[in-house]
Amino acid sequence: MADQFPLQAELIERIDWLISLRWLAVVGTLLTIVLVNFYLPGLLLQGPLLATTAAIALYNACFLLYAHRLRTQESAAIRLRQSTVFAYVQIALDLIALTTLLHFAGGIENPFALFFVFHMIIASILLSPTASFLAALLASSLFAVMALLEYRSLIPHYNLAGLVNPDLYRHGTYVLASILGMIITLFLVVYMTSSISARLRTRTGELLEVSRSHEAKSRELEELNAKLQKLDAARTRFMVTVTHELRAPVATIYSCLDLVLGGYASPEKERQILERAQQRTTELLDLVKDLLELTGARQAEVQAEEAEPIQLADVLHNVEELMRVEAENKDLFLSVDIAPDLPLVRARPEHMKAVWTNLLSNAIKYTEPGGIVVASLTHNPHYVVGVVRDTGIGIAAEDLPRIFEEFYRTANAKAVCPQGTGVGLAIVKRMIESYGGKVWVESELGRGSKFTFILPKAR
Amino acid sequence: MATKGKVLIIDDDPDFVEVVRTALETDDFEVFSAADGSQGLALMRREKPDLVFLDVMMAHPTEGVDVSEAMREDPTLRDIRVVMITAITDTQYVGDFPTDRYLHVDQFLTKPVPLSELLELTNRLLKKK
Repeated sequence: MADQFPLQAELIERIDWLISLRWLAVVGTLLTIVLVNFYLPGLLLQGPLLATTAAIALYNACFLLYAHRLRTQESAAIRLRQSTVFAYVQIALDLIALTTLLHFAGGIENPFALFFVFHMIIASILLSPTASFLAALLASSLFAVMALLEYRSLIPHYNLAGLVNPDLYRHGTYVLASILGMIITLFLVVYMTSSISARLRTRTGELLEVSRSHEAKSRELEELNAKLQKLDAARTRFMVTVTHELRAPVATIYSCLDLVLGGYASPEKERQILERAQQRTTELLDLVKDLLELTGARQAEVQAEEAEPIQLADVLHNVEELMRVEAENKDLFLSVDIAPDLPLVRARPEHMKAVWTNLLSNAIKYTEPGGIVVASLTHNPHYVVGVVRDTGIGIAAEDLPRIFEEFYRTANAKAVCPQGTGVGLAIVKRMIESYGGKVWVESELGRGSKFTFILPKAR
Repeated sequence: MATKGKVLIIDDDPDFVEVVRTALETDDFEVFSAADGSQGLALMRREKPDLVFLDVMMAHPTEGVDVSEAMREDPTLRDIRVVMITAITDTQYVGDFPTDRYLHVDQFLTKPVPLSELLELTNRLLKKK
Protein backbone atom coordinates (compact mmCIF):
# COMPACT_ATOMS: atom_id res chain seq x y z
CA MET A 1 0.00 0.00 0.00
CA ALA A 2 1.40 3.34 -1.03
CA ASP A 3 0.52 5.36 2.07
CA GLN A 4 1.45 2.66 4.57
CA PHE A 5 4.62 4.31 5.71
CA PRO A 6 3.32 7.75 6.65
CA LEU A 7 0.34 6.11 8.42
CA GLN A 8 2.67 3.85 10.30
CA ALA A 9 4.87 6.78 11.32
CA GLU A 10 1.69 8.53 12.48
CA LEU A 11 0.56 5.51 14.51
CA ILE A 12 3.88 5.23 16.34
CA GLU A 13 3.88 8.96 17.02
CA ARG A 14 0.30 8.78 18.37
CA ILE A 15 1.22 5.84 20.60
CA ASP A 16 3.84 8.03 22.28
CA TRP A 17 1.21 10.73 22.67
CA LEU A 18 -1.20 8.18 24.18
CA ILE A 19 1.40 7.09 26.73
CA SER A 20 2.07 10.71 27.75
CA LEU A 21 -1.66 11.31 27.98
CA ARG A 22 -1.97 8.28 30.26
CA TRP A 23 0.62 9.70 32.67
CA LEU A 24 -1.54 12.82 32.82
CA ALA A 25 -4.58 10.64 33.52
CA VAL A 26 -2.73 8.87 36.33
CA VAL A 27 -1.74 12.19 37.89
CA GLY A 28 -5.26 13.58 37.35
CA THR A 29 -6.89 10.53 38.99
CA LEU A 30 -4.54 10.70 41.98
CA LEU A 31 -5.21 14.42 42.40
CA THR A 32 -8.97 13.84 42.17
CA ILE A 33 -8.82 11.08 44.81
CA VAL A 34 -6.74 13.26 47.14
CA LEU A 35 -8.92 16.36 46.64
CA VAL A 36 -12.22 14.47 47.04
CA ASN A 37 -10.83 12.84 50.16
CA PHE A 38 -9.83 16.26 51.48
CA TYR A 39 -13.19 17.97 50.89
CA LEU A 40 -15.53 15.00 51.21
CA PRO A 41 -13.69 12.55 53.48
CA GLY A 42 -15.08 9.01 53.40
CA LEU A 43 -16.86 9.46 50.08
CA LEU A 44 -14.42 7.36 48.09
CA LEU A 45 -13.09 3.88 48.67
CA GLN A 46 -9.44 4.87 48.53
CA GLY A 47 -7.75 1.46 48.55
CA PRO A 48 -9.13 -0.10 45.35
CA LEU A 49 -9.04 3.25 43.52
CA LEU A 50 -5.35 3.83 44.36
CA ALA A 51 -4.58 0.21 43.47
CA THR A 52 -6.25 0.62 40.07
CA THR A 53 -4.38 3.87 39.47
CA ALA A 54 -1.12 2.14 40.39
CA ALA A 55 -1.99 -0.63 37.95
CA ILE A 56 -2.49 1.97 35.22
CA ALA A 57 0.89 3.54 36.07
CA LEU A 58 2.51 0.12 36.02
CA TYR A 59 1.16 -0.94 32.63
CA ASN A 60 1.94 2.47 31.22
CA ALA A 61 5.57 2.02 32.28
CA CYS A 62 5.55 -1.33 30.48
CA PHE A 63 4.06 0.35 27.38
CA LEU A 64 6.80 2.95 27.47
CA LEU A 65 9.45 0.22 27.39
CA TYR A 66 7.63 -1.67 24.68
CA ALA A 67 7.20 1.47 22.53
CA HIS A 68 10.95 1.97 22.79
CA ARG A 69 11.57 -1.60 21.63
CA LEU A 70 9.10 -1.20 18.79
CA ARG A 71 11.20 1.59 17.34
CA THR A 72 14.17 -0.75 16.92
CA GLN A 73 12.13 -3.22 14.88
CA GLU A 74 13.76 -3.19 11.44
CA SER A 75 11.04 -4.61 9.22
CA ALA A 76 8.51 -1.87 8.46
CA ALA A 77 5.68 -4.36 7.87
CA ILE A 78 6.25 -6.15 11.19
CA ARG A 79 6.55 -2.80 12.96
CA LEU A 80 3.20 -1.71 11.56
CA ARG A 81 1.51 -4.94 12.65
CA GLN A 82 3.01 -4.80 16.14
CA SER A 83 2.08 -1.12 16.53
CA THR A 84 -1.52 -1.87 15.58
CA VAL A 85 -1.86 -4.75 18.07
CA PHE A 86 -0.15 -2.56 20.67
CA ALA A 87 -2.75 0.17 20.14
CA TYR A 88 -5.60 -2.36 20.52
CA VAL A 89 -4.15 -3.66 23.79
CA GLN A 90 -3.70 -0.14 25.20
CA ILE A 91 -7.23 0.96 24.37
CA ALA A 92 -8.77 -2.26 25.74
CA LEU A 93 -6.76 -2.00 28.98
CA ASP A 94 -7.70 1.66 29.35
CA LEU A 95 -11.39 0.84 28.95
CA ILE A 96 -11.14 -1.90 31.59
CA ALA A 97 -9.23 0.44 33.92
CA LEU A 98 -11.81 3.20 33.48
CA THR A 99 -14.65 0.76 34.16
CA THR A 100 -12.86 -0.49 37.27
CA LEU A 101 -12.36 3.06 38.56
CA LEU A 102 -16.01 3.85 37.88
CA HIS A 103 -17.13 0.69 39.63
CA PHE A 104 -15.22 1.58 42.81
CA ALA A 105 -16.48 5.17 42.68
CA GLY A 106 -20.23 4.80 42.44
CA GLY A 107 -20.66 2.90 39.15
CA ILE A 108 -23.51 4.28 37.14
CA GLU A 109 -23.87 7.25 39.53
CA ASN A 110 -20.46 8.61 38.63
CA PRO A 111 -20.56 11.54 36.13
CA PHE A 112 -17.01 10.66 35.07
CA ALA A 113 -18.55 7.84 33.01
CA LEU A 114 -18.43 10.50 30.28
CA PHE A 115 -14.69 9.82 30.08
CA PHE A 116 -15.53 6.90 27.81
CA VAL A 117 -16.06 9.53 25.13
CA PHE A 118 -12.38 10.53 25.26
CA HIS A 119 -11.36 6.93 24.78
CA MET A 120 -13.61 6.63 21.76
CA ILE A 121 -12.08 9.74 20.21
CA ILE A 122 -8.59 8.38 20.79
CA ALA A 123 -9.56 5.00 19.31
CA SER A 124 -11.09 6.65 16.24
CA ILE A 125 -7.95 8.67 15.64
CA LEU A 126 -5.58 5.75 16.08
CA LEU A 127 -7.44 2.80 14.63
CA SER A 128 -9.40 1.82 11.56
CA PRO A 129 -13.17 2.56 11.66
CA THR A 130 -13.92 -1.15 12.24
CA ALA A 131 -11.51 -1.34 15.17
CA SER A 132 -12.98 1.89 16.56
CA PHE A 133 -16.51 0.48 16.47
CA LEU A 134 -15.20 -2.64 18.21
CA ALA A 135 -13.74 -0.36 20.88
CA ALA A 136 -17.17 1.33 21.22
CA LEU A 137 -18.74 -2.10 21.53
CA LEU A 138 -16.25 -3.10 24.24
CA ALA A 139 -16.76 0.17 26.14
CA SER A 140 -20.55 -0.13 25.95
CA SER A 141 -20.43 -3.75 27.05
CA LEU A 142 -18.12 -3.02 29.99
CA PHE A 143 -20.35 -0.15 31.11
CA ALA A 144 -23.55 -2.17 30.64
CA VAL A 145 -22.16 -5.28 32.36
CA MET A 146 -20.95 -3.19 35.30
CA ALA A 147 -24.29 -1.42 35.62
CA LEU A 148 -26.32 -4.60 35.23
CA LEU A 149 -24.17 -6.65 37.64
CA GLU A 150 -24.50 -3.89 40.25
CA TYR A 151 -28.20 -3.60 39.52
CA ARG A 152 -28.60 -7.36 40.04
CA SER A 153 -26.31 -7.13 43.14
CA LEU A 154 -24.03 -9.75 41.63
CA ILE A 155 -21.15 -7.40 42.49
CA PRO A 156 -21.12 -4.85 45.27
CA HIS A 157 -22.19 -1.26 44.62
CA TYR A 158 -20.19 1.55 46.19
CA ASN A 159 -22.56 4.47 46.67
CA LEU A 160 -21.23 8.02 46.52
CA ALA A 161 -22.82 8.61 49.89
CA GLY A 162 -24.49 11.97 50.32
CA LEU A 163 -24.11 12.96 46.67
CA VAL A 164 -26.46 10.65 44.89
CA ASN A 165 -29.64 8.87 45.82
CA PRO A 166 -28.31 5.50 47.14
CA ASP A 167 -31.03 3.57 45.33
CA LEU A 168 -30.45 5.06 41.92
CA TYR A 169 -28.39 2.06 40.71
CA ARG A 170 -31.37 -0.18 41.44
CA HIS A 171 -33.71 2.02 39.42
CA GLY A 172 -34.32 -0.16 36.31
CA THR A 173 -35.45 2.60 33.95
CA TYR A 174 -32.56 4.86 34.97
CA VAL A 175 -30.03 2.06 34.51
CA LEU A 176 -31.46 1.17 31.12
CA ALA A 177 -31.58 4.82 30.04
CA SER A 178 -27.97 5.36 31.18
CA ILE A 179 -26.77 2.27 29.32
CA LEU A 180 -28.68 3.24 26.17
CA GLY A 181 -27.51 6.83 26.38
CA MET A 182 -23.94 5.62 26.78
CA ILE A 183 -24.17 3.22 23.85
CA ILE A 184 -25.68 5.82 21.51
CA THR A 185 -23.18 8.48 22.60
CA LEU A 186 -20.18 6.20 22.16
CA PHE A 187 -21.19 4.91 18.72
CA LEU A 188 -22.06 8.39 17.46
CA VAL A 189 -18.74 9.75 18.70
CA VAL A 190 -16.88 6.93 16.98
CA TYR A 191 -18.88 7.42 13.80
CA MET A 192 -18.23 11.18 13.66
CA THR A 193 -14.57 11.08 14.65
CA SER A 194 -13.81 8.16 12.34
CA SER A 195 -15.32 9.88 9.33
CA ILE A 196 -13.38 13.07 10.07
CA SER A 197 -10.10 11.24 10.57
CA ALA A 198 -10.74 9.06 7.48
CA ARG A 199 -11.19 12.18 5.40
CA LEU A 200 -8.00 13.65 6.87
CA ARG A 201 -6.17 10.45 6.01
CA THR A 202 -7.44 10.55 2.43
CA ARG A 203 -6.30 14.16 2.13
CA THR A 204 -2.86 13.27 3.47
CA GLY A 205 -2.71 10.41 1.00
CA GLU A 206 -3.69 12.69 -1.87
CA LEU A 207 -1.13 15.30 -0.87
CA LEU A 208 1.50 12.59 -0.71
CA GLU A 209 0.46 11.35 -4.14
CA VAL A 210 0.69 14.86 -5.58
CA SER A 211 4.12 15.49 -4.10
CA ARG A 212 5.28 12.11 -5.38
CA SER A 213 4.05 12.80 -8.89
CA HIS A 214 5.74 16.20 -8.75
CA GLU A 215 8.97 14.54 -7.79
CA ALA A 216 8.61 12.06 -10.63
CA LYS A 217 7.90 14.87 -13.07
CA SER A 218 10.86 16.93 -11.97
CA ARG A 219 13.07 13.85 -12.28
CA GLU A 220 11.70 13.32 -15.78
CA LEU A 221 12.47 16.93 -16.66
CA GLU A 222 15.98 16.58 -15.31
CA GLU A 223 16.55 13.51 -17.44
CA LEU A 224 15.20 15.28 -20.49
CA ASN A 225 17.44 18.23 -19.79
CA ALA A 226 20.48 15.99 -19.46
CA LYS A 227 19.57 14.35 -22.78
CA LEU A 228 19.26 17.74 -24.46
CA GLN A 229 22.58 18.85 -23.05
CA LYS A 230 24.21 15.69 -24.38
CA LEU A 231 22.63 16.32 -27.76
CA ASP A 232 23.83 19.89 -27.72
CA ALA A 233 27.36 18.79 -26.82
CA ALA A 234 27.28 16.24 -29.65
CA ARG A 235 26.14 18.93 -32.08
CA THR A 236 28.93 21.28 -30.95
CA ARG A 237 31.48 18.50 -31.35
CA PHE A 238 30.10 17.82 -34.80
CA MET A 239 30.35 21.50 -35.75
CA VAL A 240 33.97 21.66 -34.56
CA THR A 241 34.84 18.55 -36.55
CA VAL A 242 33.10 19.86 -39.66
CA THR A 243 34.94 23.17 -39.36
CA HIS A 244 38.24 21.36 -39.05
CA GLU A 245 37.48 19.12 -42.01
CA LEU A 246 36.57 22.15 -44.12
CA ARG A 247 39.47 24.25 -42.97
CA ALA A 248 42.26 21.77 -43.70
CA PRO A 249 41.78 21.69 -47.51
CA VAL A 250 41.13 25.45 -47.67
CA ALA A 251 44.39 26.15 -45.81
CA THR A 252 46.31 23.88 -48.16
CA ILE A 253 44.71 25.43 -51.26
CA TYR A 254 45.66 28.85 -49.88
CA SER A 255 49.28 27.73 -49.46
CA CYS A 256 49.36 26.33 -53.00
CA LEU A 257 48.12 29.63 -54.41
CA ASP A 258 50.50 31.57 -52.17
CA LEU A 259 53.41 29.54 -53.54
CA VAL A 260 52.46 30.25 -57.16
CA LEU A 261 51.49 33.91 -56.71
CA GLY A 262 54.55 34.63 -54.56
CA GLY A 263 56.80 33.28 -57.32
CA TYR A 264 58.47 30.72 -55.04
CA ALA A 265 58.28 27.92 -57.63
CA SER A 266 59.61 27.22 -61.10
CA PRO A 267 57.02 27.36 -63.96
CA GLU A 268 56.81 23.54 -64.31
CA LYS A 269 56.50 23.19 -60.53
CA GLU A 270 53.78 25.85 -60.56
CA ARG A 271 51.57 23.73 -62.82
CA GLN A 272 52.01 20.71 -60.57
CA ILE A 273 51.11 22.73 -57.49
CA LEU A 274 48.04 24.20 -59.19
CA GLU A 275 46.91 20.68 -60.11
CA ARG A 276 47.19 19.71 -56.46
CA ALA A 277 45.14 22.77 -55.52
CA GLN A 278 42.52 21.80 -58.07
CA GLN A 279 42.41 18.25 -56.69
CA ARG A 280 41.91 19.60 -53.16
CA THR A 281 39.15 21.89 -54.41
CA THR A 282 37.36 18.88 -55.90
CA GLU A 283 37.66 17.11 -52.56
CA LEU A 284 36.32 20.15 -50.81
CA LEU A 285 33.32 20.20 -53.14
CA ASP A 286 32.76 16.49 -52.43
CA LEU A 287 32.87 17.19 -48.73
CA VAL A 288 30.38 20.02 -49.05
CA LYS A 289 28.09 17.76 -51.09
CA ASP A 290 28.37 15.01 -48.45
CA LEU A 291 27.71 17.48 -45.65
CA LEU A 292 24.59 18.67 -47.43
CA GLU A 293 23.51 15.08 -47.82
CA LEU A 294 24.21 14.43 -44.14
CA THR A 295 22.06 17.43 -43.24
CA GLY A 296 19.40 15.96 -45.50
CA ALA A 297 19.75 12.68 -43.62
CA ARG A 298 19.24 14.54 -40.37
CA GLN A 299 16.06 16.01 -41.77
CA ALA A 300 14.91 12.68 -43.20
CA GLU A 301 13.56 11.73 -39.81
CA VAL A 302 11.20 14.68 -39.94
CA GLN A 303 10.03 13.76 -43.44
CA ALA A 304 9.83 10.02 -42.78
CA GLU A 305 6.15 10.14 -41.86
CA GLU A 306 4.95 11.65 -45.11
CA ALA A 307 7.15 9.52 -47.40
CA GLU A 308 5.35 7.70 -50.22
CA PRO A 309 5.81 3.96 -50.76
CA ILE A 310 8.52 3.36 -53.37
CA GLN A 311 10.10 0.40 -55.13
CA LEU A 312 13.73 0.03 -53.98
CA ALA A 313 14.49 -2.05 -57.07
CA ASP A 314 13.86 0.98 -59.33
CA VAL A 315 16.23 3.10 -57.25
CA LEU A 316 18.88 0.37 -57.39
CA HIS A 317 18.54 0.08 -61.20
CA ASN A 318 19.11 3.82 -61.59
CA VAL A 319 22.18 3.80 -59.38
CA GLU A 320 23.46 0.65 -61.08
CA GLU A 321 23.77 2.47 -64.43
CA LEU A 322 26.08 5.11 -62.92
CA MET A 323 28.09 2.57 -60.94
CA ARG A 324 28.58 0.20 -63.88
CA VAL A 325 30.83 2.78 -65.59
CA GLU A 326 32.98 3.15 -62.48
CA ALA A 327 33.18 -0.61 -61.99
CA GLU A 328 34.17 -1.22 -65.62
CA ASN A 329 36.81 1.51 -65.44
CA LYS A 330 38.35 -0.38 -62.55
CA ASP A 331 37.88 -3.78 -64.18
CA LEU A 332 35.46 -4.98 -61.50
CA PHE A 333 32.59 -7.39 -61.97
CA LEU A 334 29.36 -5.71 -60.77
CA SER A 335 26.28 -7.87 -60.33
CA VAL A 336 22.80 -6.78 -59.28
CA ASP A 337 20.40 -9.39 -58.01
CA ILE A 338 16.76 -8.46 -57.31
CA ALA A 339 14.14 -10.89 -55.98
CA PRO A 340 10.78 -10.90 -57.86
CA ASP A 341 7.63 -9.35 -56.32
CA LEU A 342 9.59 -7.09 -54.01
CA PRO A 343 7.27 -5.20 -51.62
CA LEU A 344 7.39 -1.39 -51.43
CA VAL A 345 9.04 0.59 -48.62
CA ARG A 346 8.09 4.03 -47.30
CA ALA A 347 11.02 6.38 -48.04
CA ARG A 348 12.04 9.28 -50.23
CA PRO A 349 13.71 8.10 -53.46
CA GLU A 350 16.59 10.62 -53.23
CA HIS A 351 17.48 9.29 -49.77
CA MET A 352 17.46 5.70 -50.99
CA LYS A 353 19.57 6.73 -53.97
CA ALA A 354 22.13 8.16 -51.52
CA VAL A 355 22.13 4.85 -49.61
CA TRP A 356 22.82 2.73 -52.72
CA THR A 357 25.31 5.22 -54.15
CA ASN A 358 27.35 5.39 -50.98
CA LEU A 359 27.39 1.64 -50.37
CA LEU A 360 28.20 0.78 -54.00
CA SER A 361 30.83 3.49 -54.54
CA ASN A 362 32.55 2.40 -51.31
CA ALA A 363 32.52 -1.22 -52.49
CA ILE A 364 34.01 -0.20 -55.85
CA LYS A 365 36.56 2.17 -54.29
CA TYR A 366 37.91 -0.40 -51.82
CA THR A 367 37.98 -3.45 -54.12
CA GLU A 368 41.08 -4.26 -56.19
CA PRO A 369 40.73 -4.65 -59.99
CA GLY A 370 39.45 -8.10 -60.89
CA GLY A 371 37.27 -8.23 -57.78
CA ILE A 372 33.54 -8.67 -57.49
CA VAL A 373 30.81 -6.33 -56.16
CA VAL A 374 27.30 -7.72 -55.69
CA ALA A 375 24.17 -5.74 -54.78
CA SER A 376 21.05 -7.69 -53.91
CA LEU A 377 17.48 -7.02 -52.78
CA THR A 378 15.29 -9.65 -51.10
CA HIS A 379 12.51 -9.60 -48.52
CA ASN A 380 11.31 -11.46 -45.45
CA PRO A 381 7.91 -11.28 -43.68
CA HIS A 382 8.52 -7.81 -42.23
CA TYR A 383 11.42 -6.20 -44.06
CA VAL A 384 12.96 -5.52 -47.42
CA VAL A 385 16.62 -6.53 -47.20
CA GLY A 386 19.37 -4.82 -49.18
CA VAL A 387 22.92 -6.20 -49.33
CA VAL A 388 26.14 -4.88 -50.88
CA ARG A 389 29.00 -7.37 -50.86
CA ASP A 390 32.54 -7.00 -52.17
CA THR A 391 35.81 -8.91 -52.34
CA GLY A 392 37.73 -5.80 -51.28
CA ILE A 393 40.26 -4.83 -48.63
CA GLY A 394 37.84 -5.46 -45.75
CA ILE A 395 37.66 -3.76 -42.35
CA ALA A 396 39.74 -4.61 -39.27
CA ALA A 397 37.75 -5.94 -36.31
CA GLU A 398 38.74 -2.95 -34.14
CA ASP A 399 37.42 -0.51 -36.77
CA LEU A 400 34.02 -2.19 -37.15
CA PRO A 401 32.30 -0.45 -34.18
CA ARG A 402 33.33 3.00 -35.45
CA ILE A 403 32.80 2.51 -39.16
CA PHE A 404 29.44 4.36 -39.24
CA GLU A 405 30.78 7.39 -37.30
CA GLU A 406 30.91 10.73 -39.07
CA PHE A 407 34.40 11.51 -40.51
CA TYR A 408 35.78 8.18 -39.33
CA ARG A 409 38.12 6.59 -41.87
CA THR A 410 40.16 3.47 -41.22
CA ALA A 411 43.92 3.57 -41.70
CA ASN A 412 43.40 0.85 -44.27
CA ALA A 413 40.96 2.97 -46.27
CA LYS A 414 43.25 6.03 -46.12
CA ALA A 415 46.14 3.93 -47.44
CA VAL A 416 44.11 2.70 -50.43
CA CYS A 417 42.42 6.01 -51.14
CA PRO A 418 43.76 9.17 -49.45
CA GLN A 419 40.76 11.19 -50.60
CA GLY A 420 37.50 10.55 -48.84
CA THR A 421 35.31 12.42 -46.45
CA GLY A 422 34.41 9.61 -44.05
CA VAL A 423 30.80 10.79 -44.16
CA GLY A 424 29.24 8.28 -46.60
CA LEU A 425 28.45 5.50 -44.13
CA ALA A 426 27.18 8.01 -41.56
CA ILE A 427 24.73 9.22 -44.22
CA VAL A 428 23.64 5.63 -44.97
CA LYS A 429 23.06 4.86 -41.29
CA ARG A 430 21.08 8.04 -40.66
CA MET A 431 18.88 7.60 -43.70
CA ILE A 432 18.11 3.95 -43.02
CA GLU A 433 17.38 4.59 -39.34
CA SER A 434 15.17 7.57 -40.19
CA TYR A 435 12.82 5.20 -41.98
CA GLY A 436 12.75 2.70 -39.12
CA GLY A 437 15.40 0.42 -40.59
CA LYS A 438 18.78 -0.93 -39.50
CA VAL A 439 22.15 -1.24 -41.17
CA TRP A 440 25.13 -3.36 -40.18
CA VAL A 441 28.41 -4.65 -41.54
CA GLU A 442 30.25 -7.95 -41.52
CA SER A 443 33.83 -7.91 -42.72
CA GLU A 444 37.16 -9.62 -42.63
CA LEU A 445 40.41 -7.81 -43.34
CA GLY A 446 41.67 -8.74 -46.79
CA ARG A 447 38.63 -10.88 -47.65
CA GLY A 448 35.88 -8.32 -48.28
CA SER A 449 32.89 -6.66 -46.64
CA LYS A 450 29.16 -7.21 -46.54
CA PHE A 451 26.81 -4.33 -45.71
CA THR A 452 23.21 -5.28 -44.98
CA PHE A 453 20.26 -2.96 -44.40
CA ILE A 454 16.63 -3.68 -43.67
CA LEU A 455 13.65 -1.35 -44.13
CA PRO A 456 10.09 -2.07 -42.94
CA LYS A 457 7.61 -3.00 -45.70
CA ALA A 458 5.08 -0.28 -46.49
CA ARG A 459 1.60 -1.25 -45.26
CA MET B 1 75.74 22.67 -53.57
CA ALA B 2 76.02 24.22 -50.18
CA THR B 3 72.64 24.93 -48.67
CA LYS B 4 71.56 27.41 -46.03
CA GLY B 5 70.52 24.57 -43.73
CA LYS B 6 68.52 21.36 -43.28
CA VAL B 7 64.80 21.61 -42.62
CA LEU B 8 62.44 18.76 -41.69
CA ILE B 9 58.67 19.04 -42.21
CA ILE B 10 56.46 16.70 -40.20
CA ASP B 11 52.88 16.94 -41.46
CA ASP B 12 50.31 14.41 -42.60
CA ASP B 13 49.05 16.63 -45.45
CA PRO B 14 51.22 15.73 -48.48
CA ASP B 15 50.12 18.82 -50.40
CA PHE B 16 51.12 21.18 -47.62
CA VAL B 17 54.48 19.37 -47.36
CA GLU B 18 54.98 19.79 -51.10
CA VAL B 19 54.23 23.50 -50.99
CA VAL B 20 56.59 24.18 -48.09
CA ARG B 21 59.25 21.95 -49.63
CA THR B 22 59.08 23.86 -52.93
CA ALA B 23 59.28 27.23 -51.24
CA LEU B 24 62.20 26.24 -49.01
CA GLU B 25 64.11 24.48 -51.78
CA THR B 26 63.75 27.54 -53.99
CA ASP B 27 65.32 29.51 -51.13
CA ASP B 28 68.30 27.09 -50.97
CA PHE B 29 67.35 24.96 -48.00
CA GLU B 30 67.70 21.20 -47.92
CA VAL B 31 64.27 19.73 -47.15
CA PHE B 32 63.17 16.36 -45.68
CA SER B 33 59.65 15.36 -44.85
CA ALA B 34 57.80 12.85 -42.69
CA ALA B 35 54.08 12.08 -42.51
CA ASP B 36 53.95 11.18 -38.83
CA GLY B 37 55.74 11.67 -35.52
CA SER B 38 57.71 8.45 -35.27
CA GLN B 39 58.90 8.68 -38.88
CA GLY B 40 59.86 12.29 -38.15
CA LEU B 41 61.92 11.36 -35.06
CA ALA B 42 63.72 8.62 -36.99
CA LEU B 43 64.57 11.05 -39.78
CA MET B 44 65.74 13.66 -37.23
CA ARG B 45 68.19 11.20 -35.68
CA ARG B 46 69.59 10.29 -39.11
CA GLU B 47 69.71 13.68 -40.80
CA LYS B 48 70.18 16.03 -37.82
CA PRO B 49 68.18 18.93 -39.34
CA ASP B 50 68.67 22.49 -38.10
CA LEU B 51 64.92 23.23 -37.96
CA VAL B 52 61.72 21.20 -37.72
CA PHE B 53 58.26 22.32 -38.83
CA LEU B 54 55.90 20.29 -36.71
CA ASP B 55 52.16 19.90 -37.26
CA VAL B 56 50.42 19.62 -33.90
CA MET B 57 47.45 17.54 -34.93
CA MET B 58 48.12 14.48 -37.01
CA ALA B 59 46.68 11.02 -36.30
CA HIS B 60 46.46 12.01 -32.61
CA PRO B 61 45.36 15.49 -31.54
CA THR B 62 48.65 16.12 -29.69
CA GLU B 63 51.08 14.10 -31.78
CA GLY B 64 53.17 17.21 -32.43
CA VAL B 65 53.41 17.95 -28.69
CA ASP B 66 54.57 14.38 -28.07
CA VAL B 67 57.28 14.75 -30.73
CA SER B 68 58.56 17.98 -29.19
CA GLU B 69 58.73 16.29 -25.77
CA ALA B 70 60.65 13.36 -27.22
CA MET B 71 63.10 15.87 -28.74
CA ARG B 72 63.66 17.55 -25.38
CA GLU B 73 64.36 14.19 -23.74
CA ASP B 74 66.94 13.27 -26.39
CA PRO B 75 70.27 15.17 -25.94
CA THR B 76 71.12 14.71 -29.61
CA LEU B 77 67.89 16.39 -30.70
CA ARG B 78 67.62 19.03 -28.00
CA ASP B 79 69.36 21.75 -30.02
CA ILE B 80 67.16 21.45 -33.09
CA ARG B 81 64.86 24.44 -33.48
CA VAL B 82 61.15 23.73 -33.60
CA VAL B 83 58.31 25.68 -35.23
CA MET B 84 54.94 24.26 -34.28
CA ILE B 85 52.12 24.64 -36.79
CA THR B 86 48.54 24.70 -35.54
CA ALA B 87 45.16 25.27 -37.05
CA ILE B 88 42.77 27.60 -35.24
CA THR B 89 40.24 24.78 -34.94
CA ASP B 90 42.78 22.86 -32.87
CA THR B 91 41.60 24.98 -29.96
CA GLN B 92 39.09 22.21 -29.22
CA TYR B 93 42.10 20.29 -27.94
CA VAL B 94 43.53 23.24 -26.08
CA GLY B 95 42.90 21.39 -22.82
CA ASP B 96 45.26 18.65 -23.96
CA PHE B 97 48.15 21.09 -24.15
CA PRO B 98 50.61 20.60 -21.30
CA THR B 99 50.50 24.19 -20.07
CA ASP B 100 52.44 23.39 -16.90
CA ARG B 101 55.42 21.96 -18.76
CA TYR B 102 58.07 23.62 -20.83
CA LEU B 103 57.48 22.99 -24.52
CA HIS B 104 60.50 22.61 -26.71
CA VAL B 105 59.17 25.07 -29.28
CA ASP B 106 60.76 28.24 -30.67
CA GLN B 107 57.74 29.62 -32.48
CA PHE B 108 54.10 28.87 -33.24
CA LEU B 109 52.53 29.38 -36.67
CA THR B 110 48.89 29.10 -37.63
CA LYS B 111 47.66 27.47 -40.85
CA PRO B 112 47.35 28.74 -43.49
CA VAL B 113 50.94 29.93 -43.12
CA PRO B 114 51.90 32.79 -45.46
CA LEU B 115 55.04 31.52 -47.22
CA SER B 116 56.80 34.91 -46.93
CA GLU B 117 56.47 34.68 -43.18
CA LEU B 118 57.59 31.04 -43.16
CA LEU B 119 60.70 31.82 -45.22
CA GLU B 120 61.55 34.89 -43.20
CA LEU B 121 61.27 32.89 -39.99
CA THR B 122 63.37 30.04 -41.34
CA ASN B 123 66.12 32.40 -42.43
CA ARG B 124 66.08 34.23 -39.09
CA LEU B 125 66.15 31.09 -36.93
CA LEU B 126 68.93 29.46 -38.93
CA LYS B 127 71.09 32.61 -39.11
CA LYS B 128 71.16 32.88 -35.33
CA LYS B 129 72.79 29.48 -35.01
